Amino acid sequence: MLPGFHLTLGFTLFYLGLIVLIPLSAVFWKTTTLSWTDFWHTITQPMALASYRLTFGTSFLAALVNAFFGLIVTWVLVRYDFFGKKIVDALVDLPFALPTAVAGITLASLYGQNGWIGRLLVPFGIHVANSQFGIFIALTFIGLPFIVRTVQPILEDLDPELEEAAASLGANRWQVFWRVILPMLTPALLTGFALAFARALGEYGSVIFIAGNIPMKTQITPVLIMGELDMFDYARATALAVVMLVVSFVLLLVINLLQWWTNRYNTTNLA
Amino acid sequence: MSVEVKNVIKKFGRFMALDNVSLKVESGELVALLGPSGSGKTTLLRTIAGLEFPDNPGAAQVLFYGEDVTSIPASERKAGFAFQHYALFRHLSVFENIAFGLRVRPKATRPPETAIRSRVDKLLQLIQLEPLATRFPSQLSGGQRQRVALARALAVEPKVLLLDEPFGALDAKVRKELRRWLRQLHDEIHITTLFVTHDQEEALEVADRVAILRAGRIEQIGTPDEIYDRPASPFVYDFLGNVNLFSGRVKDGSVVIGETEFALSEKTGELDIDAVAFVRPHDIRITRATGDQKTFPARVLRSNAAGPLANLELERLDGGGSFTVQLSKEEFLLLQPKAGEQVFVALKNVRVFSEDYSI
Amino acid sequence: MTPVISFHPHSPAVPRRSLSEPPFVRRVLLGTALGFMALFLVLPLAFVFTQAFAKGIGFYGKTLSDPLAWKAIQLTLLAAGIAVPLNCVFGVAAAWAIAKFDFRGKNILLTLIDLPFSISPVISGLIYVLVFGAQGWLGLYMNADHPYLPWLANWLNDHDFKIIFAVPGIVLATLFVTFPFVARELIPLMQSHGRQEEEAARVLGASGWQTFWRVTLPNIKWGLLYGVILCNARAMGEFGAVSVVSGKIRGQTNTLPLHIEALYDDYNFTGAFAVASLLAFLALLTLGLKTWVEYQHNRLQERNPPC
Repeated sequence: MLPGFHLTLGFTLFYLGLIVLIPLSAVFWKTTTLSWTDFWHTITQPMALASYRLTFGTSFLAALVNAFFGLIVTWVLVRYDFFGKKIVDALVDLPFALPTAVAGITLASLYGQNGWIGRLLVPFGIHVANSQFGIFIALTFIGLPFIVRTVQPILEDLDPELEEAAASLGANRWQVFWRVILPMLTPALLTGFALAFARALGEYGSVIFIAGNIPMKTQITPVLIMGELDMFDYARATALAVVMLVVSFVLLLVINLLQWWTNRYNTTNLA
Repeated sequence: MSVEVKNVIKKFGRFMALDNVSLKVESGELVALLGPSGSGKTTLLRTIAGLEFPDNPGAAQVLFYGEDVTSIPASERKAGFAFQHYALFRHLSVFENIAFGLRVRPKATRPPETAIRSRVDKLLQLIQLEPLATRFPSQLSGGQRQRVALARALAVEPKVLLLDEPFGALDAKVRKELRRWLRQLHDEIHITTLFVTHDQEEALEVADRVAILRAGRIEQIGTPDEIYDRPASPFVYDFLGNVNLFSGRVKDGSVVIGETEFALSEKTGELDIDAVAFVRPHDIRITRATGDQKTFPARVLRSNAAGPLANLELERLDGGGSFTVQLSKEEFLLLQPKAGEQVFVALKNVRVFSEDYSI
Repeated sequence: MTPVISFHPHSPAVPRRSLSEPPFVRRVLLGTALGFMALFLVLPLAFVFTQAFAKGIGFYGKTLSDPLAWKAIQLTLLAAGIAVPLNCVFGVAAAWAIAKFDFRGKNILLTLIDLPFSISPVISGLIYVLVFGAQGWLGLYMNADHPYLPWLANWLNDHDFKIIFAVPGIVLATLFVTFPFVARELIPLMQSHGRQEEEAARVLGASGWQTFWRVTLPNIKWGLLYGVILCNARAMGEFGAVSVVSGKIRGQTNTLPLHIEALYDDYNFTGAFAVASLLAFLALLTLGLKTWVEYQHNRLQERNPPC
């Protein structure tokens, strides 16, 4: 019996309530000031629907691309030795550490018509700034660490004997990867994918500078909420926020289930 | 008496860890708490240390030298506790681990630095680890860690020493050395000591008295001789070593197994009931001829004479099943039983248990 | 959502494996990974610093010594200076309760602690507007005809009490978005340590505080520092949530990230990147410290594994 249980749990609950739960409950209070028709109208107006499509579509695509390249980066970091590996490993977390506003103006300028990369793309008729492609670039930037950091520990702990067993049974290197390694990484890879996707859905700072925020075309949902707030229409902003919150909570549930699956998967494999 | 526990009930969820347990330990005694896992022995030890508290604080009591400590927290109870996995502070050296209990005392009662040093040095000498004082726990072997844990517990001059599976995590050879060392240590410093173990051999060898626990209750308590020779229940009998079971009938001071009558050590009076006779493998004799002794016939199934003792597996000819016999190497070489051969079997120290009766 | 940056001890050296890919495949994979990282991470970073000095060191110095920039730095330091210690205390308390005791609803509590991570920064700001804004609970109270506790309402009105579009709102939004960082690092770490060492300390007579300072803290110090570093990075860099509650009054409620936006919107790109270079440097410092702390923690774990 250690001391301090009531003190620490009491403080935890108090602080959680004060900073998180009470303010969050205000969202549901504010929603009730809208009638059901108004609420429904707000969340299904064409601009909102277009923003959902855009936000979900680009987030999904960015998470998918990250899953692919993130897996390769993880593989290289875990399995190969090369010069500067420690720096590369540390750099993976840059999107976490770099403030989103900095990422936002950097990507916008880099891919702008006069930017280092944008300039190269203009001759091909590709315009990244103020386009959905730009949003995709920003969301890819912020999502990379999620994949690498979820898959990395699993790949590190993978028992080499499994691969040796597969090889001794006649599997070639590709078969070993495809039939043995990848299935064992799948739960972690899905978790990482879901985390990157969830983060991308709510992203604001790194997107607004490159997106141009053209209604119906490059306006993501958080920007739409921001627009309502700028017009002091808090009820409509809150209605849109509720949609995003519900999606976030569902994703949170999915991620918890995935993590539970990852853990179970790995413990049964150890036994 | 020095340490006494009265009527302690402790549940974890629906699991009954301690079911109204009472126990008295005399001053200077070394008592073993013996039982299978889940029998409540560690919970009892932790309750004495103040790491768990009884669910029935009104009725339950923990007394140290007559003083009621039931509601006193662990930090003020002055019980020395050695944890099963040692729980050494990994960031502190051996020396600082042992000194910890002295250093955390309030300023008024804290000994001066020189006194702490000399006390720790003395304990290091006692556990024979003086050269390792500056090492960290991870640099020690399992046996050394256990000795440091003991010294750390002793440093605060506890009223009682509580050891949770003190040798559980060690390999067989170190275990034997260390338990002899513990017995010697106890004979030197005579501190009231309770230790938990699931190893009956360890309990019988080291302890003055052994308490056997089962499902949250104390099944029997007594000296090693008492509990080995006069187990109070089939459970204790079984737990304390190998045993053969022969079903038969109890009649007028003797037990009938097959067609042979064996005398019981105690009178039963007028009785005629079904019962099970318990006989240890080393209380069975084998002969080639019946002689005067009461015997029954059996067939040798197989034998194994590796080591100082020989183990035989025999089968009753009347279809009553198989049993094991332990012979000394000399007896075995003299007799040289062959597999498939028929022999005669004599029993001694037969104890009988039936559902409502035991001798 | 669990933050993925968590304290996992890396095994830095590649363990010997008998099997590997053909050299050609290795080279392609290595090239792809490094190319992707260079394009998405290194290039933007290099770009920030190049742009920051595009108009020379003089302009750079002038931008950073501008009173508005200085004010933004002060406000950013203030917000982080309040949010980090508070969330640190919370993290330690929550980790103690959750890792050292068993109680019902622990998993729900863990999920609730993670909640701020899964909420869009814009919504994180919005909820405080709803509580403290002119149209929110506080506004309703201050403007009510017959408020409960009239003296309090009068006092608030007399002092023109403001949280939203003022500094307190910025601090609150920062508290919210950095809420889980320290707790999230400490909980798994303390759970993995178990409670045996603390119990041993208690039996040896240590008080609750002594147990914490002498036994628990030395074992979690690197994890705690790790959480603090990440918490600080986010606190100083938060943009979305702060941008909702700040009102963006230059020289008053602009933090560094908001100041960058203001400069960028004024087409002062070089100025924006000059200020951004400060935060980019902070990010690099964070990554460096993080790697160092990981190294220290691993060394400690190797030297003193649980026994």
